Amino acid sequence: MTKKRKEVVTSIPDAASKIKDGMTVAIGGFGADNHPMTLVREIIRNGTKDLTVIGSATAGLEIDLLIGAGCVKKLVAPYVGQEMYCPIGHNFRNYVEKGQIELWECSEYILYAGLFAAASGQEFFAWRGGVGTSIPQLNQDLVEFVDPIGKTKKIIAVPPLRPDWALIHVGWSDPYGNGQHLGARFGDRWLARAADRIMIQAERIVPNSVIRKNPFMTTIAYADCVVEAPYGGHPYAAHGFYKEDVDFIEDYVKCSEANRKGDTPVWSDYLQRHVHGPKDHYAYLETIGIKKLLDLYTHPIVSG
Amino acid sequence: MNDYSWKELMAVVFSREIKDTDKITSGAHTEIFFAATMLAQKTHAPNLKLQLGGSVTLCNVVDVEVSELPKTSTGYELIRYAESVHDHPDTFLFYGAPGGARYYTDEDSDLRDVNHFWFADRFFVGGIQADKWGNTNMIGLGKPGKITFRGPGTIGINDIAIGVRDTYVFLTAHDKRRLVEQVDFISFPGKKICRDNEYYGGGPKWIVTPKCIFDFDPDTLQARLAMVFPGVTVDDVRANTGFEVKTAKTVEVVDPPTREELEALRDEVDRTGVLRQ
Repeated sequence: MTKKRKEVVTSIPDAASKIKDGMTVAIGGFGADNHPMTLVREIIRNGTKDLTVIGSATAGLEIDLLIGAGCVKKLVAPYVGQEMYCPIGHNFRNYVEKGQIELWECSEYILYAGLFAAASGQEFFAWRGGVGTSIPQLNQDLVEFVDPIGKTKKIIAVPPLRPDWALIHVGWSDPYGNGQHLGARFGDRWLARAADRIMIQAERIVPNSVIRKNPFMTTIAYADCVVEAPYGGHPYAAHGFYKEDVDFIEDYVKCSEANRKGDTPVWSDYLQRHVHGPKDHYAYLETIGIKKLLDLYTHPIVSG
Repeated sequence: MNDYSWKELMAVVFSREIKDTDKITSGAHTEIFFAATMLAQKTHAPNLKLQLGGSVTLCNVVDVEVSELPKTSTGYELIRYAESVHDHPDTFLFYGAPGGARYYTDEDSDLRDVNHFWFADRFFVGGIQADKWGNTNMIGLGKPGKITFRGPGTIGINDIAIGVRDTYVFLTAHDKRRLVEQVDFISFPGKKICRDNEYYGGGPKWIVTPKCIFDFDPDTLQARLAMVFPGVTVDDVRANTGFEVKTAKTVEVVDPPTREELEALRDEVDRTGVLRQ
């Protein structure tokens, strides 16, 4: 008798409720692309507190939103901003300057070294970039040592970074948690591999047969939890589906800047409009409007 | 031709620096260098090996129409210009060729030489401060435990720069708050620290500001004024710099963009005027 495989599809609220106060959570995507925004908004709606957030190597304003919503206790990220739209995230800047979040100072590859150490079960990974900078001085978890082979050069030992959950946005996933990106993967596979558990947010859930058509494209295998959230990366781009919503991002930048400058009602209003107000993901999309969403459409960039 | 923005001037100046044999990488918030490198591929460096942005796209635009200069380093637009796309951590594993990246040291040769520059020939880094050693700071102002201004963070600058031959530091404004005797924090080490730590990379080659270009004295490893932009005087630079300005033997004036250079930039790379905003 053939046993049925276990499907791991859950509702968005059920998925977000797995993220408990005090957990360490990695948020995938990069810059203005491929962030699991529906899950991020749901975590904020739940009032989740004291998270240690591990951002991507170029974290965008998804992290800034979590900080401004009061969810973050400690942040691991070498950058928080949105390039030309917002060189430095306003909530990130404000909370660091006021000492309201702890920052694990790092650079891109120091972050990856920590993830790699966790993923491969090592006590640390070694990396030279950062020697001679202020990073080891600002981050007491990093330990400089002398290369035991060449005996002269200094090297940094980076301890493991092990998230409880990695939240990753993909193009599509099957019900068993096999996800395919359909665009750039950035550092998502490394965030996922280092984590104890993986939560996929997919634009679409597809049958397993679609995944099997091109298993070379599978980037996240055997996630523990899958949710379907079409346009779930909004306001950021999802490669192969839509581009970023520049007007929305500019409004975010304006409201978060007001918050940094002490105008908290503007920020509370922003959170009410876009996070707390809409009763679920689809109500959120209705606030954006169908024309806007369709205008953001882009052609597929890779085939599955 | 005076009708050009500072960013356009920068793009043209950097494009002139780029050789056909170069291997270059350019990261986040570096639209000037996206423009400079694409312009170089289209004008005089069709073989330029070019890695742009966080999707780790290896781009060649010689025969590709650049409809719009990308505003972010991650967007799907960049993938249109790519021949190869990698995971971001692979930047450090696949793009940088261990043991050999100094392609074609002899300009007349098409043979690749093997050398000790692990990552690339040229790279561009920004800063909220730079000092006379070429140390740059993206971390913030203040002291450990007492940050008065938090900067964007180091991103991957320190990771990449250790293996790059020539790194170009660029500041988007020139004043005494940005050009200082000693930076508050170091995100990218200057020439002396690179040398002291036996880094493969040579450290900063230039510090570029809207007023001028500093290079580095090979003996003292300190910045010296080498070139000024049209309309800028040495005294003007001195009056706006927070460290004592030493000069090269002759301080040259940078040639402004020619009509041809500007037309190529605007017609083939930056059609929507990102560098004029």
